[in-house]
Amino acid sequence: MAEKASDGPMVEARDLAKRFGDFIALHPLNVEVHAGEFFGVFGPNGAGKSTFIKLLTGQLAPSRGGAKVLGISASKDPQAVKANIGIVPESESPPSYLTAAEYLEFVCRIRDMDDVDQKVAYWLDWFGIPDKRNTMCKDLSKGQRQKVMLASAFIHEPKLLFLDEPFVNLDPIYQRKCRKWLLEHIADGGTIFLCSHILEVAERLCTRVAVIDHGKVLAAGTIEELKEQGDETLEDVFIRLVGASIEEIEGQNEEE
Amino acid sequence: MSPEVPFAVPGFGRAFWVNFQMMFKEEWRQNVDFAKKRHIMLFPAMLALVTMAITIGLRFLTGDTMTDAGLDTLQQAEKSFTWDELKLGLHLSLFTFALGMGSFAFIGRTMVSQRGGGKSYLLASPALQPLHLTPVYFAYYCKEVAFYLLMILTPCVIGMGMGILVGAQIGIETSLLTSSLPVVLLCMLLTMMQGLALSFFASALWSRGRVWVWVLPVLGAAVGIAAATDFIPVEWVVLGLNIQLTHDFSLAFPAFAGALLLAWAGARLVPEDFELQVSTRDDLFEPIHRRLGWLGNGPIRILVAKEMTDMLRSGALLKMLGSYCVPLLFLLGLAWLADFARFPIPFNLLSYAPFLGFFGFNFYSWLNAVDPPDFYNNLPVRVPQLLRAKIIVYFLMTTWISVLFLVFMAWLLDQFEDLLGALLVMLANSVYIVAFAALLMGLRPNKAIFDFSAMGPFYLGTAVPLVMLFLLSFTQGDLSLYANWQAQVRADGTSAEAVQMELEERASVTFEYIVYICAVLLTLAGAFLLLIERRWGKAAFEN
Repeated sequence: MAEKASDGPMVEARDLAKRFGDFIALHPLNVEVHAGEFFGVFGPNGAGKSTFIKLLTGQLAPSRGGAKVLGISASKDPQAVKANIGIVPESESPPSYLTAAEYLEFVCRIRDMDDVDQKVAYWLDWFGIPDKRNTMCKDLSKGQRQKVMLASAFIHEPKLLFLDEPFVNLDPIYQRKCRKWLLEHIADGGTIFLCSHILEVAERLCTRVAVIDHGKVLAAGTIEELKEQGDETLEDVFIRLVGASIEEIEGQNEEE
Repeated sequence: MSPEVPFAVPGFGRAFWVNFQMMFKEEWRQNVDFAKKRHIMLFPAMLALVTMAITIGLRFLTGDTMTDAGLDTLQQAEKSFTWDELKLGLHLSLFTFALGMGSFAFIGRTMVSQRGGGKSYLLASPALQPLHLTPVYFAYYCKEVAFYLLMILTPCVIGMGMGILVGAQIGIETSLLTSSLPVVLLCMLLTMMQGLALSFFASALWSRGRVWVWVLPVLGAAVGIAAATDFIPVEWVVLGLNIQLTHDFSLAFPAFAGALLLAWAGARLVPEDFELQVSTRDDLFEPIHRRLGWLGNGPIRILVAKEMTDMLRSGALLKMLGSYCVPLLFLLGLAWLADFARFPIPFNLLSYAPFLGFFGFNFYSWLNAVDPPDFYNNLPVRVPQLLRAKIIVYFLMTTWISVLFLVFMAWLLDQFEDLLGALLVMLANSVYIVAFAALLMGLRPNKAIFDFSAMGPFYLGTAVPLVMLFLLSFTQGDLSLYANWQAQVRADGTSAEAVQMELEERASVTFEYIVYICAVLLTLAGAFLLLIERRWGKAAFEN
């Protein structure tokens, strides 16, 4: 049942934490993302970005705290969350033995959409792979598989998108095309939660960012708020924050 | 107030149906991907032909010809199988096969944990799509049933029908009636569905951990022993067999509903867990590599160490050893039955030894399912080297079990004098079958199941020596039994009758012919290992 839009946060994490055995992947954190925001989470490899996105999209159960997406508990009703969002995972591929078109048809039919053929054709065309519609996904290049995954997240036109390193395997032409589309999505009232380690993406797209490392939020705010000096680049900010964090950990190791 | 949530989670019906259709397609493509389409189509065709031949020969198995030859009922019973024994054999094989193939909760877990790797499957789709696991796993169960129905059961029943027709044309009346065929199909389908559902339910319960991890194996073993000792009649467990024996069709509906309900319960029990474990372990590879000094310093030693590390780390070793040991337990049960139920076949230690090699195929299949080998494509190693490494691992992990088993059987049957021969047969057959599997199927034995170009030669190439060794074992190398048969046939042609004869004493027995066959198998195995280079030398690492 559709509900009326409100000013409530689209994404809300409260004391959200994740532990795998003895390893703390994410320390307790609080985040709110509102409608119309392009929120970016940035950090080095293994910082906990993908864990964060998996917790928010109900793919992982939190060890502590909780998250609400569109007002729905991600841990209690992950299917309702997934029904109303689009997810592009970092490393997952579409099912190997379905063709590109079949996977998009599968997604459309699961989501009970109309005009499936037209929508599938539109998105394959949009991503420049109409000739690959009958190619099995295992035989597509990494970039083409990434395009199929992006199309599967966009095809039902959700208001809220979770994107984990969405541009990594895309060529520059489609990176630009996707960036433009995402900005239009925001302009139309959509919301995006993005994880990446590519700082250029943050500078070009994000209205607000958080920098995380070793599962901790080191800083959060607009890019301008993160910059201590006027001439500081985002890369300087990133190295300052993450570098300090690495020094901290190295210091801790030495103490031990 | 919450933001707008315009989309609903799909209901059970839609989620099931969409998944079922796509999964069937996925399964078909997966099989066709390994073999050519015509090879896949040849599999059911050949199955139908084999079943046709068996159907024509049924009257010889059930002793109908002996009645013609004037043997009395008692003699006939001793020298032939009864219809009920044949039905038991059919349903037990099917049930065991289904139990082996039905652990969908384990399969699903593997697909979820490997979804970021080289291959991705629909069973892992609930990670990203708004799908509950129940309809997805239930669809997977139904897809498996439909696929086996299409590829195995239906061709078998068509073959039976052809057997009846051809038999009538050439004047050999088969003991099977055309009107029985729908019943046979129905009962086989039920046995298959029940085996798959039981295995699925058990694997789902086991996946939930806690007490189930040990309660289930104990319970399974208890039921198995109870059925083997006739404490619980087998037909109470295998309901397809029950209906085929009693023709009590009032049981059919509840039995089918029960199998579906069990599968649905299994689907409900699969834990909703997309978690990828992050764990640290002490280095296992180096210690194993150090211990393998006898393999030299080449890549084989490194590959064997990697394979063994995989097995120990993944926790698959227990399942793999289980897949090897369960058939051995079945052989043990057969030995017990042969001893106590007075089978019309003189089983002995040498009769069991060839089967040990045959079961090696299970272990080899597992070895190829632990870790996708795609990453080897970036390293200076070749597929034949990995195949040889897997064969070495197979021997390292299973030979001690086979030896222990044969020693135990020798003690059980009081046949220590045949132990050496049995060990030779076991070793020769094992190396032959695993080398043959590696040559024909490479790194993809699990995908070759419906590929006739691989499975056809494999069945033929393994069945012929298996049957030869099995038959020779009855005389322990003394061929007078067959000489007698030949003499009778030469004298009376197709009207030859069974006659009383005395087998020579064991003292005169040599293993001459068995040794010849073992020598041929070992030579062929050597040739296969060389041919692996030619067949797979330029292949990519993929499974």
